[in-house]
Amino acid sequence: MANALILGISIASIFLVAAIGLTIIYGTAGVINMAHGEFIMLGAYATYAMQTYFGLPYFLCIPCAFVIVGAIGFVIEKLLIQYLYHRPLDTLLATWGVSLVLIQGTRLTFGSDPKYIQMPGFLSSNIELGGVSLAAFRIFVILAALALIALVWFVFYKTDFGIKVRAVTQNREMAAAFGINSKQVYSFTFAFGAGLAGVAGALFGVLNIVLPTMGTGYVVQAFLIVVTGGGALMGSAIASIATGEMQSIFAMLLNDSFARFLIFILIVVFLRFRPQGLISAGGSRR
Amino acid sequence: MLDNPYHNKTLQWLAYAAVFLLIGIVPLLTDDDFLLNQLATYGVYGLLAVSISLCWGSGGILNLGQGIAFGLGAYGMAMTMQMQSQAPGTIPPFMANNALETLPIFWEPFWNTGLGIALALLVPTLFYLIFGGLMFVARVSGPFFAIMTLAILSALATVFVALQPYTNGVNGISPPTGLVIAGTKIDPYSSTAYWLVFALLLICTFTAKLLTQSRFGLVVRALKDDPERVRFLGYNVAVYETLVYALSGLMAAAAGASFAVLTQYVSPAQFEVGFSISAVIWAAIGGRGSLLWAMLGAFTVQGAQSYAGDAFLNTWILILGFSFILVVRFLPGGFAGLAELLLGRLASLRGGRREEFGQAPAKGAAK
Repeated sequence: MANALILGISIASIFLVAAIGLTIIYGTAGVINMAHGEFIMLGAYATYAMQTYFGLPYFLCIPCAFVIVGAIGFVIEKLLIQYLYHRPLDTLLATWGVSLVLIQGTRLTFGSDPKYIQMPGFLSSNIELGGVSLAAFRIFVILAALALIALVWFVFYKTDFGIKVRAVTQNREMAAAFGINSKQVYSFTFAFGAGLAGVAGALFGVLNIVLPTMGTGYVVQAFLIVVTGGGALMGSAIASIATGEMQSIFAMLLNDSFARFLIFILIVVFLRFRPQGLISAGGSRR
Repeated sequence: MLDNPYHNKTLQWLAYAAVFLLIGIVPLLTDDDFLLNQLATYGVYGLLAVSISLCWGSGGILNLGQGIAFGLGAYGMAMTMQMQSQAPGTIPPFMANNALETLPIFWEPFWNTGLGIALALLVPTLFYLIFGGLMFVARVSGPFFAIMTLAILSALATVFVALQPYTNGVNGISPPTGLVIAGTKIDPYSSTAYWLVFALLLICTFTAKLLTQSRFGLVVRALKDDPERVRFLGYNVAVYETLVYALSGLMAAAAGASFAVLTQYVSPAQFEVGFSISAVIWAAIGGRGSLLWAMLGAFTVQGAQSYAGDAFLNTWILILGFSFILVVRFLPGGFAGLAELLLGRLASLRGGRREEFGQAPAKGAAK
């Protein structure tokens, strides 16, 4: 049981890292970004490219992935998303189109053979933790998840940009009346969320092999976390821990696939009784 | 505003009749059985697009998991066909390979062809009724509902892969012989199969069309624009939403069942997210607001995929993705929206000339 709980924390950290960018994009701008998984994939490829072609050390590749994918997100927001804010269903469809294009574009650029990201030697060992042997890299992911929460919290609650974002989220018109350029805030929020997905990709590229289709599995999972959490940062964190632990415990009792199935069903039932999620971010949007 | 011929009901029915007449005479023009089978498969995709258009175009309920009904229907039919080929008391070979000795209890009804086909259609419909009921009563709608359908879809895919001994996992079920109904075998590569799919498509599309024009359809269409107002007018919104969702599920199940008959094969690929989304893409490019255009969208995209796709496989998905983005961004009504716009322009041009000294048609007054 203790094994399952510790493994659950590791799964939870992966869920959270995958969902954190989406939480920001969805929680503030209300955009249903179906290309989120592909942003993760791009992050992995950005890391791979930086490492292979420029010989950057892995730890420098992570901020690079943030910047590169953030920039791609910014361009996509400027070209497409900003016209669709008042049409949520269409955003969902358009971003699905974006994900098709990104997958195929990556396949044409890098080929469809798997790529591998080298990680620093000291992370490739195993660490004994309460009788469980956990890969050091998984511990690193747990730490990264905590760091990302701290980063997002800092940006949202301790910077000028964060104040503007929260103002726009609460009441766009009123914020605009106070001289906040809400369009620009949305663009940068989207870019920030995309960048965080890029960081997720830099981490997941090590856990799994890097493929053009590696992102597709993350979208649904990440969305369930965000919707269950209610679009707030803490909501996503709690939802990740809850689902991660459940996944781990159910998987021990049954098996992986049934655990996944059971969690999906539980989430559907949960949302039946609490459609606004655990912690609802902005009351006005829904 | 003058009458737009696009909104003329008589003309609409004429257009439907003309299109179906064209599709209907195909077997008289060709005796290439392979081509007929391929075209019949497009018919199945067309039916799937119609089912999406009914739910999404009329009711505004975007369903990204239509593969749930399609896949369940296909599995039901494939199981029926599999049992038809079994001698009484035997179990399908893949079960024996997976160390099963007796037929699982939920396979038993499929010994009976009629019961099997009924289950193939009713199980998905019932599933949609329950799931839709749960969601719509909780007033889950719009993007959230879409995400939920997606979640259920991927959960189902996982289960069908995991239940290897009962479903043959990723390999899926491939019944050795075609479907036998009332003593006659339906050869999937024949005009008979084509006619069957054609009849199904015809019945479903015309029923759906009649439904959208009925009183029920009127309430459903009102839901799309403003569910809150419909609720205040005293209608039980959840009931209407659940019914139209379940009905579209029934059609998708019928499409899935025909798919299994045509291909003699079913696998968890039918539950893949990509497949369900392609169905939404067909309806969106063709025009979700019109059943007929949604169907034509499926024909066009799938047709282009098999012919153009073979020639430049790699760029095809790129083209599809870009055209989908362009349609969503600039042409939310799809080609149906374009046709509506052009026909409207045409009508006001002619009308403008005729009524030159009368009331000028108010330009841009309608939306």
